[in-house]
Amino acid sequence: MSHPLLQATDLTIQGDGVTIAPFSLNLGSGERLTLLGETGSGKSLIAQAIMGTLPRGLTTSGELLIDGTRYAAADVAARRTLWGRRLALLPQEPWHALDPTMRAAAQITESHRHVAGLARADARQATQHDLTELGLEDAGGKLPGELSGGMAQRVAFAAASAGGAPIVIADEPTKGLDAPRRDAVVELLARTPRAGGALLTITHDIDVARRLGGEVVILRQGQVVERGPAQQVLSDPQTEYGRRLLGAEPSRWPAPPPLTSAADATPVVTARGLAKSRGGRLLFQDLDVSVGPGEIVGVVGPSGCGKSTLGDMLLGLASCDAGEIEHAPGHRLGLQKLYQDPPAAFSSHWRLSRLLDDLVRRHDLERSAIAPLMERLGLDGRLLVRRPGEISGGELQRFAILRVLLLKPRLLFADEPTSRLDPITQQQTLSLLVELARERHCGVMLVSHDPALIARVCDRQLALGEATNVNGPAASARPLETASA
Amino acid sequence: MTSLTLSRAPSRWRSGLRGLLLQRLFQAGLVAWMVGTLTFVLTRTLPGDMAYRIAAGRYGHDMVDSAAAEAVRAELALDQPALGAYLGWLWDLLQLDLGRSLVSGEPVIHELWHQLGHSLGLAVMAVLLSLLIGPPLGLLAGRKPAGLLDRGSELAASVLRALPPFAVGLLLIMLFSVALGWLPAAGHGRFAHSVLPALTLALALAAVSSRVARNAMAEVSQSAYYAFSHTKGLGARLSFLRHGLRNAALPVVAYLGVQFVYLIEGVVVVETLFAWPGIGHALVHAIVARDVPMIQGTALVMGLMFVALNTVVDLICHWLDPRRREA
Repeated sequence: MSHPLLQATDLTIQGDGVTIAPFSLNLGSGERLTLLGETGSGKSLIAQAIMGTLPRGLTTSGELLIDGTRYAAADVAARRTLWGRRLALLPQEPWHALDPTMRAAAQITESHRHVAGLARADARQATQHDLTELGLEDAGGKLPGELSGGMAQRVAFAAASAGGAPIVIADEPTKGLDAPRRDAVVELLARTPRAGGALLTITHDIDVARRLGGEVVILRQGQVVERGPAQQVLSDPQTEYGRRLLGAEPSRWPAPPPLTSAADATPVVTARGLAKSRGGRLLFQDLDVSVGPGEIVGVVGPSGCGKSTLGDMLLGLASCDAGEIEHAPGHRLGLQKLYQDPPAAFSSHWRLSRLLDDLVRRHDLERSAIAPLMERLGLDGRLLVRRPGEISGGELQRFAILRVLLLKPRLLFADEPTSRLDPITQQQTLSLLVELARERHCGVMLVSHDPALIARVCDRQLALGEATNVNGPAASARPLETASA
Repeated sequence: MTSLTLSRAPSRWRSGLRGLLLQRLFQAGLVAWMVGTLTFVLTRTLPGDMAYRIAAGRYGHDMVDSAAAEAVRAELALDQPALGAYLGWLWDLLQLDLGRSLVSGEPVIHELWHQLGHSLGLAVMAVLLSLLIGPPLGLLAGRKPAGLLDRGSELAASVLRALPPFAVGLLLIMLFSVALGWLPAAGHGRFAHSVLPALTLALALAAVSSRVARNAMAEVSQSAYYAFSHTKGLGARLSFLRHGLRNAALPVVAYLGVQFVYLIEGVVVVETLFAWPGIGHALVHAIVARDVPMIQGTALVMGLMFVALNTVVDLICHWLDPRRREA
């Protein structure tokens, strides 16, 4: 065992309906530990208890040994002096964690200057060195709002680690990033143990845990379910829950029910020769798309390639520069959209029952359709008296699906509907969506940045990206004749 | 690196400035035309005989008779069509001539120049005083939302903002002039004369800006970037100075522009109450005497002041918030 950097003994967290069972960990120099679990498993709370940033109302007990000094976990104030110097926290969604009115370089420089204690000129030089090393030469003069997610992640990493802290805690470092960026973050995190530090990562992404290696702890409802070396736990889990968690990885999902509609069914939407530019940049041109009833078409491509714009065009919410779009006859309510962030898609002040009532009344829908649909979606009737913020993200997204299905859609554009959900919930939600779409002959366009997920769920896929390459080999935008997959 | 930053900084600060200033200049022209037209129409449609009122303004109510009124009517061509008078005024305005007061016969611009200085002094003092009281109180309250200071200042702010300025002014006079005898109740000349009118205006301004500052600070202190600033090791003081102040100042400064409406409206009331010889005082007198060129001139200057002050606010925001410059 190498020189221990971070040791936690019998760490517990209590309060506000949360209980984390005594948890211990031991991280030496060059070692990695990953806490894996779904939302509500308490993995983030453990990181916050170590840092001393637990939300009000939660208390912690136990003992911590940080770089040779002993601390009572409850003595939060004592650890504040360690922030940035011994303990570095890489925040969730770093594009929110950077000051929006300060340029990227200045946010790194202030860490070098005020945390590491360098002179003004030296701090500037150190920042320049950091930026070059992280491939951000041009980003120093930019504001956080002008940085991509991956760039913001690297700037935050440089700002957090400028103080030279040997222990790095990364809380959901890949949340909201697409697949290629995720790999870059893993690479970034691996720098710490390579340089002799210790890395504690909190994630719900099994792939990230696998790439980081080291020790893995699977948590569920505040309890350690399984723990051991990454290769072993993530290839051959010993517990039922561990197997379920791994089974929720898209590549291991069971195949969706086959598309049964007639091969010559009229497509719910047909578009020919679509073109769109945004901000002087051509997003795509000569794009042909068609979606048959009950068909699931995946849409993939890097951030900013116009996936959501394409959806808005097909739904008639945005105009196209060229081309024509033809919908199957029917009411305009038959064109619907499912949003990425469920809480943002609901009015937060009203009970769910009231929100559904309003919808039914506004559009003269069958009230009797609600109960069976709720049962199909696994939604308990008691949830109706709660407000959107008081149920889980997975439940709320299923309510969003319920809300959309009540309108009997012909075409549903699902814009990353499960990217904010944890793997098990993601699988449940998507398989329900596919099943119900098949049953109701609703064409679905599913946007995701997870290629494995698209490959598993969709009948065919449309790859956007290089403007000139829409119909290249990657894009399986088929000829317009619909044929069952 | 240093030279690079230095050479880039000024061009950054100036980018987008031209459009901003041109837009405000256009607005100023529009305001001048609209305010002038509106006051012209309004004074012409006021009930009562205009010539009679003007004559009363010149010779006093006891001395006026219908002969004097007729003389005024003939002299000022008030029986001629209004359109001609309007076009004449517009033509004069284009030549920056505001005309002469119908009562005193002095050029309007001279009278305004004199009074504007007094009003500006009062307004500047009120704004500075309100900035000393409001934002610091709000920032302190915002660091502990729902604390004693927050609740207390919220109550005080609601009461102060709900009271009209003349009521606040009267209460201050009763307290500081009548009961305590510390400050003069009205008048002009010494510094002591300006304290109560400035304070009357400042209290209501501070009431609003303290709440804006409080909300801004509460939002900043709950933001992810403020938390990150702490966990990356900057500590409470540096986090506040480097990331709290600027972000919390933005809404406070931006809202100041809206508050100037209150300031200009308050000046009219407060100057009358404290017998302060400023532009608001002059406006009230001009309306009573139907001194149309004076009314037009005063309203015009007030409108332009509003545009000018908002331009200053824009410039400060532009300097505070780098995001505006890229747009």
